[in-house]
Amino acid sequence: MTRYILGRVLQALGVLWAAFTLTFAILYLLPSDPMELQLAAAGLQADGISPQQLADLKHQYGLDQSIWGQYWTRLSGAVHGDFGMSLTQNLPVRDLIQARIGQTLLLTGCACTVSMVLGLALAYLATFVRWNPLRLFLTRLPALGASFPQFFIALMLIQFLSFKLGLFPAMGNTGWKSLVMPVATISVLTSSVLAQVLIKSFDDTLRQPYIVTARAKGLSRSAVHLKHALRNAALPAMTILGLVIGLSVTSSIIVETIYTRVGIGRLAQEAVLSQDVPVVLAVVTIAAAIFVTVNLIVDLLYPLLDPRIARNRGRVRVPAAQIEVSAA
Amino acid sequence: MSMLRRLGRPAPHRKAVAAIALAGLAVLAGCGGSSGGSGGSTDDATPKAGGELKVSFFPDNANFSCIDPFQVYWIEHRTIVRNFADSLTDQDPDTGEIVPWLASKWEISPDGLNYTFTLRDGVTFSNGNKVDAQVVADDVKGWLATVAATNGTAYGASYIQGLTGATVVDPLTVKLTLSQPNASFLQATSTTNLAITDPAEYQLLPADRCTGKGVIGSGQFVLDHYTAKVETVITKRTGYAWASKLVKNQGDAYLEKVTFTYVAEDSVRIGNLTSGAIDVSWPRNPITPQDEKLIEASGQTVEKRALPGVSYTQFANTTEGRPLSDPQVRQALYKAVDLKTYAKTVFGDDYPVVAGPFDSTTPFYSAQASKLAYDPDGAKKLLDAAGWKVGSDGFRAKDGKQLVLDYPVTQFSAGPELLQAQLKVVGINLALRTLTPAQTATYVKDGDYDLTQTYFTRADPGALQFILNPDVANSKALANRSATPAVTEQIKALFKKAIQTTDAAQTKQAYADLQALLIDQGVTFPLFERVQEAGVSKDVHGFAFTSESFLRLNDVWKS
Repeated sequence: MTRYILGRVLQALGVLWAAFTLTFAILYLLPSDPMELQLAAAGLQADGISPQQLADLKHQYGLDQSIWGQYWTRLSGAVHGDFGMSLTQNLPVRDLIQARIGQTLLLTGCACTVSMVLGLALAYLATFVRWNPLRLFLTRLPALGASFPQFFIALMLIQFLSFKLGLFPAMGNTGWKSLVMPVATISVLTSSVLAQVLIKSFDDTLRQPYIVTARAKGLSRSAVHLKHALRNAALPAMTILGLVIGLSVTSSIIVETIYTRVGIGRLAQEAVLSQDVPVVLAVVTIAAAIFVTVNLIVDLLYPLLDPRIARNRGRVRVPAAQIEVSAA
Repeated sequence: MSMLRRLGRPAPHRKAVAAIALAGLAVLAGCGGSSGGSGGSTDDATPKAGGELKVSFFPDNANFSCIDPFQVYWIEHRTIVRNFADSLTDQDPDTGEIVPWLASKWEISPDGLNYTFTLRDGVTFSNGNKVDAQVVADDVKGWLATVAATNGTAYGASYIQGLTGATVVDPLTVKLTLSQPNASFLQATSTTNLAITDPAEYQLLPADRCTGKGVIGSGQFVLDHYTAKVETVITKRTGYAWASKLVKNQGDAYLEKVTFTYVAEDSVRIGNLTSGAIDVSWPRNPITPQDEKLIEASGQTVEKRALPGVSYTQFANTTEGRPLSDPQVRQALYKAVDLKTYAKTVFGDDYPVVAGPFDSTTPFYSAQASKLAYDPDGAKKLLDAAGWKVGSDGFRAKDGKQLVLDYPVTQFSAGPELLQAQLKVVGINLALRTLTPAQTATYVKDGDYDLTQTYFTRADPGALQFILNPDVANSKALANRSATPAVTEQIKALFKKAIQTTDAAQTKQAYADLQALLIDQGVTFPLFERVQEAGVSKDVHGFAFTSESFLRLNDVWKS
């Protein structure tokens, strides 16, 4: 068990490091010179100052180091939780993140909760309903939800619920009402993904011999569906919980921008466009950390929920989303 | 856009100062009325105190987030500054006249080198500190130090050209000294850039002040906080009693609080206004005719006022080897662009058509309309003569190279597709290239363009120096690429002639010659007249523009 945990933790750290390094490399390839951006942020123009002044400033900002030197400075800083100064906002990255992360966590937390409830309810209904046309419709619904662009959904919601009906504000972070449309926008995607997996695993579970046994013992269909099928069918959905949370965090980039919310998603979008390297690195690292942590928790919980994994001493991966039994 | 530093070159005598100022006033007066002047609802209802005003701007400056009065050039932020920081003088938007504000009177020495201001007694900053002669003198020191610290690129530098320092005469009298006369200096003291702030701020670094740290004014509102790219909040200050005579409400503000947000999507900004979620929608480029209809249909109003200064102007990259290095191609460009249709299509039927390097509200404006007339056949002839032949795809080519103009598209662009379609008619391929904010900070210096744009808001033609004169231009790269060295010398000579004279007629003539030269030599390509528009809720009363077309909140109240 200790080996299992240790392996998972090491893997998580590896993923974090890879995300950081890859982001650094990509940002390094972007076209604009970070020095000029930094000068612009300080109200200076690169062609307005002498080469000597430029060299001094480069030294001051640490931009005269080699790429490896800069990488090392950023990485060791990040390990200590210090992401340096924003290139465009004259503020420590830590302050920028601290002021925003709460809002993003609230948004994605709500979106995950809502999508779990919605996804589960949809999957439950889709597999419980007997009337074929409705069953077919409910089974296909997640595919539709997963393929709608979030940008489109957000603008439609704003158009109708805000501008036409005036139910919810189209922008801002004030009050629970401002959360409704952003959460709905994210949940359409994430609940669809969840529902797709759940429907499949419901279908498979319902074909298991023990379900037949339960029915044969005289239990009602709804009792079997709720008690026996749901618990087993829900297990594979745990696997994609990490994915759902990851999707919610990345969705916050689009959603926070359209709904003009304060959060690290919008911060990331602005930082990428203005090539604010320290901010992008920090946001990517934090998003990766959230993703990795959730997956780690899921991985660690799995042996508790499914004794088969513990018995294999952590050598197996988490179960696949479907479990085929030849007798079925 | 980032631009422009210093102010005009000096006029040697006070007479010239007065004459030029007067000429400016006449122009402003002529245009003030027709363009809406101070604007605003003219209802006589009794103002009601209280409430929060919500204003939405277009996105915050991506590359230089700043709220420090002296350094900020972002038009939207100059609006915010105007409402939390007062200046020595104020400028009447209708007549252009400079009137007392924090200074109750002033005297200009006959040689135009000394400005002695007598301050109003009893004025305090929002932190309780007194505004006295020492404060003004320390601010002057702070301005000069900021100019030095930023190598002259701090935007305020353009307003204090020639200023060398200030001396305290008595607690309420301060003398500002210039090394050379500066015809626009009195007007400069009325701007937000020379707003009087608690000089303690100058102990901080310029970059720190940009975040709002230490920025304290004596205005009707207090800067509560500035969160770059997210929001700026100002709150009411009690005990305000030193408004200029240009506002009706001489006491405390009516509004409790004003929140400025930055909204990227035009449709969201307009929708928020029509659905009542915000009170003022304040875009950078004029509101489209479709949106204007939407706003008016919902019962709200659109306020407009022309911005004085350089019109929305495109500048060519005339570097050797680039298509626009050929003067004939540049002349063809004038004839190929249908400015009338452009204004009508992009901004609506009654939108003014640009007619020269400056907006029509700028002093010494001289229309060049006939040279900017639409003449596609003339353009084709010029291009034929220049050796660009039409190919099978409809675009022109010379020596196997297509006539492509690299046209960076930024957040300041308006209707680039229409321009592209117009140029296609004569066989020019305008290649639109959308830039990220990071690229907008660097592409001009790197010369990655054939045609780019910039402008400058100020009621003085001298402003254009800071785009076109490489000696003082903020972007030397843009200045050097916009004209050949010979033409640049001519431009510089005309600016000198206009500013360093005692003869108002000569100034007028020099500026007229300059405006003709800029078109004859294909240096500036005006695209549209800049009008500041704002969608205003029907619940907002007392809306007013300043002389620089910023929002003035003193008389604003909500019903």
